[in-house]
Amino acid sequence: MKSGVLKLILVVIGLNLFFTYIGLDFLPQSESHPPREIKIQEGISQDDLIVIGEKIVFGKGQCMVCHPMNAETGMRAPAIATIGRDTKEHAKKEGISHEEYLFDALVNPSKHIAEGFDDIMSPAHKPPTSLSEGELIAVAAYLQSRGERVTISYPESLSILKEVMKKEGGS
Amino acid sequence: MAEKSIKQGVIKGIIKLTVILGASFVLLFMFRKMLPAPTEDGYRLLPVIGSRVWVWIVAQLHLNFAAFVLGVPIFAVTMEFLGWRRSDERLDRIAYDFTKLFTLAYTLTALLGAVLMVSLPLLYPKFIDHMMKILGPTWWVYILVMYGEVFVCYYYFYSWKRMKDRKGIHVLIGVLLNVMGILMLLITSSWVGYMTTPGGVSETGELVNRWQAIKTYMWIPLSLHRLVANVVFGAGIAAAYAAFRFITARSDDERAYYDWMGYTSAMIAIGFSLILPGIGYLLGVEIYAFNEQMGIQLMGGFFAWLWVMQAILIGAILFAVNYYLWISLNKMPGGQRYFKYVKFLFVVIFLGYAVWLTPHSVALSLEEARRIGSYHPALGKLGVMASKNTAVIISYLATFISFAIFRMSNKEPVVSWVKTGQLIRILLIVGSSVAVLGLGVYSYMVPSVTRVKVLSPIQFGVFFLCIVALYLLDSRMYKGARIIGEPKWGKMPERSQYALIAITVTFTWLMGMMGYMRAGGRQYWHVYGIMKDTSPEAYLPSHGTASVIVTIVTVLFFLLVAFIFWSIMKLERFSEQRRAG
Ligand code: HEC
Repeated sequence: MKSGVLKLILVVIGLNLFFTYIGLDFLPQSESHPPREIKIQEGISQDDLIVIGEKIVFGKGQCMVCHPMNAETGMRAPAIATIGRDTKEHAKKEGISHEEYLFDALVNPSKHIAEGFDDIMSPAHKPPTSLSEGELIAVAAYLQSRGERVTISYPESLSILKEVMKKEGGS
Repeated sequence: MAEKSIKQGVIKGIIKLTVILGASFVLLFMFRKMLPAPTEDGYRLLPVIGSRVWVWIVAQLHLNFAAFVLGVPIFAVTMEFLGWRRSDERLDRIAYDFTKLFTLAYTLTALLGAVLMVSLPLLYPKFIDHMMKILGPTWWVYILVMYGEVFVCYYYFYSWKRMKDRKGIHVLIGVLLNVMGILMLLITSSWVGYMTTPGGVSETGELVNRWQAIKTYMWIPLSLHRLVANVVFGAGIAAAYAAFRFITARSDDERAYYDWMGYTSAMIAIGFSLILPGIGYLLGVEIYAFNEQMGIQLMGGFFAWLWVMQAILIGAILFAVNYYLWISLNKMPGGQRYFKYVKFLFVVIFLGYAVWLTPHSVALSLEEARRIGSYHPALGKLGVMASKNTAVIISYLATFISFAIFRMSNKEPVVSWVKTGQLIRILLIVGSSVAVLGLGVYSYMVPSVTRVKVLSPIQFGVFFLCIVALYLLDSRMYKGARIIGEPKWGKMPERSQYALIAITVTFTWLMGMMGYMRAGGRQYWHVYGIMKDTSPEAYLPSHGTASVIVTIVTVLFFLLVAFIFWSIMKLERFSEQRRAG
């Protein structure tokens, strides 16, 4: 009987150690930290703006949760690699500027639904992503750089963004 | 202890609860005065282990016990009812033993709850202020219901022997106990629901509509999921108790009874666990409906690997169950005839397990994970999920067949259509296995949306239809069957009991991990999208760290459970001696 209880205890401890071992040794070991506020200086060069935008798209913005880099079958959201060119075409079709279309896509994604996709993207300037105005501009610049000439800059593009956000609030 | 009068027992319970609650309020008040003021953004950091880990461990322990005391009454009353209708003494005895277990677990549950109740407002004052502002009234209702629950629970337990001749009323009291339990579950789930999928508040966290804040996306599916998981978990602990009593039993009678109790509890646990994937799926759908981003993060983002871990754990459970059923055939007269089939089923489950653990997919995705970081586009990993789903279902099917074989192994059907029946059975098993496998292979070729929304539910549907059909077929075919011999309960080697314990340990670990995932899904938010966690601990730890903490919780939990088992035995000895002396 005594040895039976001892074996029971061994099973309890042994299994726990086994599971811990799998957790420590088999699974990847990264931590997920909350994003930091990214400060963007006025008059920043476009190249630097794009670099910051890329960082946000891959990190804090969590865009890659849905968007794949390159087009693949069964993707949930449009591919990022060609998104500059694609959005430019869509903008042309709707008769608005590329900048306005991009900002709209970020702060009011339900307004233009890209063909073949569902309306599941939430506005990037609202929680849980909560990108600031500067961050939105950096992201838009990066998106534009995927296949198109970049026309967005900081703080020059701020007025267009503000306009788009105002419209979004009113609708 | 059962000798105590009903009134005494109930009063004791109420006093105990009042003392625990009162002491917590006093402690909270005193600590607030004594401790330094919280930081500007509303935190007090617990030294050494940190506030987060402390609250994590206490909350999970409290939750484990709560799951136990809410889950066990559900099948305890069911057993009592069945025992009453069928005049089966043994069922009444097992129901009483279950009730003894959860009644004794109440005090520990309340104590752990009290520690949590003191810790949270001290360590996270701003967050708790917010919760009280939004859902405060529910907290006071919760305390009221808690008193109701304690009253009914102690009444139910202490009146068991005395109300022997008024079973109907006694069963009704048990039902009332469950109503109370479900109310408590609904209230606490509304808190977690609000934190994860908030509603009823403005973007800045001002209350707009309290009912909306209670009735969030997650509320009902989470409550359902917990309700069923509580039954599974509670039955698991009961099986562990039976295993412990079996091993320490002193007579063959005791061994026979506890063998039967262990078997019954384990089958309740496994039976109810069959519906969990379905409800889990509902829960997932609601989370996606609330916020697609959160859904994808949970399923395919940072947590993708923990779903693999989940598969490993479920696999381990099924493995242990089948091993147990296999050994159990020994005690069935005529059981030996089936050894060859069970061996085959064992191989099937082993293969299923191998699919989950294939080093190939692990290595591949590990490399992928490193290359792409934690924000892997969900597809790749869900692709891996396709095969895992299929393996889970096939293994479950094999487990069900093991169970059916065990139940029928001491019987010989006498109906005229035995041959046809057996053929139908084989067709059912082979047909549904092929269908599940085929769908699994096909799901590699379709977009993930189709797989998640169409193919996986069909796979589960086929599985359920198959087991229901098998069950119906068997109960027809074995109607009035010739019984070769009664099962020899108690004729089990000790190692079968280790399998039972292994099932429960794994369940507990699994529950700890899933609880972490549910909470971690909020990422760095106290209330998702409404209130940020700005403390230095607002990050998701590595999976290794999380595993260590889940292990700490599980081991602590079993220490406490062992204490309860031990006190039951002590009390039994004590009342035996009193009766003898
Ligand atoms: C919940 C999944 C999800 C997340 C997260 C997400 N998106 Fe989207 N996104 C979509 C879907 C689906 C579409 C296509 C439907 C639409 O146009 O709204 C889309 C469309 C877009 C478009 C417009 C494409 C077009 O051709 O019209 C842009 C630009 C875009 N996303 C950028 C981003 C950026 C930048 C982020 C990160 C800040 C992001 N998305 C995060 C799902 C998501």
